[in-house]
Amino acid sequence: MKILVGVKRVVDYAVKVRVGSHGVELKNVKMSLNPFCEIAVEEAVRLKENKGAGVSEIVALSIGPKQCQETLRTALAMGCDRGIHVQTDLRGDYMELQSDAVAKLFQKIIEEKEKDADLVLVGKQSIDSDCGHVGPMLAGYMSWPQATFAAKIDVEGNGLLVERETDQGTETIRIPKLPAVISCDLRLNEPRYATLPNIMKAKKKKIDTFQAEDFGIDLEPKNKVLEVFEPPARKEGIFVDDVNQLIDKLRNEAGVIP
Amino acid sequence: SFLDSLRSNADLAHVQINQNKYDLDSHGRGEGHHPCAPPSAILVPTSAHDVSQILSMCNKHKVPIIPFGAGTSVEGHVSALNKESISLDMKKFKKVDLPIDGILEDACIEVGAGVTRHELNDHLRHTGMKFMVDPGADASIGGMVACGASGTTAVKYGTMRENILGLECVLPDGTIAKCGTKALKSSAGYDLTSLMTGSEGTLGVITKVTVKLHPIPGHVIAAICEFDSLHEAAEAVATMRMCSIPVERCELLDESSMDAFRRYAASSGDGKFELGAENKPTLFLEFTGSSEAAVREQVTLTESICDDFGGSNFEFKADESERKTLWKARHNLYYASLALRKGATDAVLTDACVPLSKFADIITATVKDVKDFNLVGPCFGHAGDGNFHCILPIVEGDDDDYIAKIHKVNDNLIRRTIDVGGTCTGEHGIGYGKLKYLDSQYGEGGIKFMKELKKGIDPNNIMNPGKVVII
Repeated sequence: MKILVGVKRVVDYAVKVRVGSHGVELKNVKMSLNPFCEIAVEEAVRLKENKGAGVSEIVALSIGPKQCQETLRTALAMGCDRGIHVQTDLRGDYMELQSDAVAKLFQKIIEEKEKDADLVLVGKQSIDSDCGHVGPMLAGYMSWPQATFAAKIDVEGNGLLVERETDQGTETIRIPKLPAVISCDLRLNEPRYATLPNIMKAKKKKIDTFQAEDFGIDLEPKNKVLEVFEPPARKEGIFVDDVNQLIDKLRNEAGVIP
Repeated sequence: SFLDSLRSNADLAHVQINQNKYDLDSHGRGEGHHPCAPPSAILVPTSAHDVSQILSMCNKHKVPIIPFGAGTSVEGHVSALNKESISLDMKKFKKVDLPIDGILEDACIEVGAGVTRHELNDHLRHTGMKFMVDPGADASIGGMVACGASGTTAVKYGTMRENILGLECVLPDGTIAKCGTKALKSSAGYDLTSLMTGSEGTLGVITKVTVKLHPIPGHVIAAICEFDSLHEAAEAVATMRMCSIPVERCELLDESSMDAFRRYAASSGDGKFELGAENKPTLFLEFTGSSEAAVREQVTLTESICDDFGGSNFEFKADESERKTLWKARHNLYYASLALRKGATDAVLTDACVPLSKFADIITATVKDVKDFNLVGPCFGHAGDGNFHCILPIVEGDDDDYIAKIHKVNDNLIRRTIDVGGTCTGEHGIGYGKLKYLDSQYGEGGIKFMKELKKGIDPNNIMNPGKVVII
């Protein structure tokens, strides 16, 4: 089984995001591997470590500026074998490069460079655009089965058994035959920390670079972003002296009791 | 008033002044048994410059000031013994100097004093390096330096003292002082970094710390082993050290702690270690190495040593989630111990450290005291360092007799400890509760030395007065 894992370079989850004149301020901001992509990488590595799954190779794919090489190195340090960097300076946080173009780039990579890919693992969404589109869109373009929000993945014969988390509960989805696309959710696994020896080994692993414009895809955004703004500042709470004052405010100011 | 002077200082206009009753309370207590003693106000500085201005003003007006980190101290460090004290909350000092490409050139990093240890390791998660000092609490780095903290990994990596290269602090007169460098060794002048370590906010305010990092271990195995007596377990540990086994963690739990441990593991639903039917003194061990073979070798040798001392049910786990569960239960032993007495919210925590040869005797004597006085008091500790804790939970409504017995256990322990050349506190600090032991621990000369230092640096005694050393 050959696995292709999507790894996106996004603003680190702990950063306090600020909005500038061109959308979210990215200058000098700490960037990291998208947490859900990290879970996808971990799952790919676990599948490879589980001898029964017969994983021959894990290829990590990242689309973005030259710093995506760092993101790929993190994935390689966690256990991926090779990296593919599709270079573009278009902003991937929905401002310039959007889901449809990304899904099509994934498709081109599979059809032209990694024809024998059996499984594509992606995070369920990226924490900058929060779209959650690429997994399902790619499955659509490839006409492959998909299972999203995976909380558990088991190898079953020639296919996979996926437990899928929803707000109402868990569904079990049987993918009888590969290839397929799976998007990974929070409870799937806890990603490992890369050790220094693995980080050093990762420096020697191969990363192939291609230019996004060379694939003959229209990279123009399909949706126009009209405005980006911070949510309104939360109003400070106040202390009330007694229950009567509380009831008065709830009734006459907040209007939440009759 | 002093606060009015602060408010009229334009340079400090951005510094929050908080007098909310609930916040004052939370800044007047740690996690020990000492009564809450709230400060008169909380200031939230954002830079060393802010701290410098605030301290100068406090020094001029002779207003006491207490630096506040995460509030997890257990010896009353932040209690405002003077009601007019100001609490200096360091929570805005959160800078972590990680290069933008995430690659560390040296095994060290500079962090703001308000960064907590879990926050730091989260920042470092893709670097292959980790900050190793692990007290149970998610304490702030500045607080850990001020307290001279350590945890379960001290047996291999040392305490806070051995894990910092330098720091920046502000002295009571407003002087911003650089201590130490980024070099791994230095003989340049007085070791100010070590002086500030364990100073508990009585000499200055720590604003930045350069901490040492270590590679995340490649291969890890956790193991446990039961013994018939604390003595045999302690002897096994001493033998392990003689065989140069570089154990990463080495914790000893007495029967009562094992009881607390089992209940916690059962209630959290993830107790996966197969222990014997009864609670017995148990060693919790962790081994690391650069290869699986290297770690297995340590485990095999340790198993045979434990066997020599009557150890039973030796079991080891390599799986990461099972190991994590084990250490999580150990780190939460404080709360698990409180839970042994229904309704307990406070406890007296003992913290003595003795030369290794005396460890078995001292912990055994305390276990006996607890039993003789009919108290609940699990004993567990860092067997590889000779340091253990007895947790004596207090329930509201406990009569004076019970409370007196609790304090007697601690008192006996410390007396015995000092008699054998140990220290009345291995890692928790002096605060104000253990002041009375320093005379017998250090004698006149040692106390005089500390007083001279304090008088020289803080002549107006504004820095956390009433703690560590009285002038």
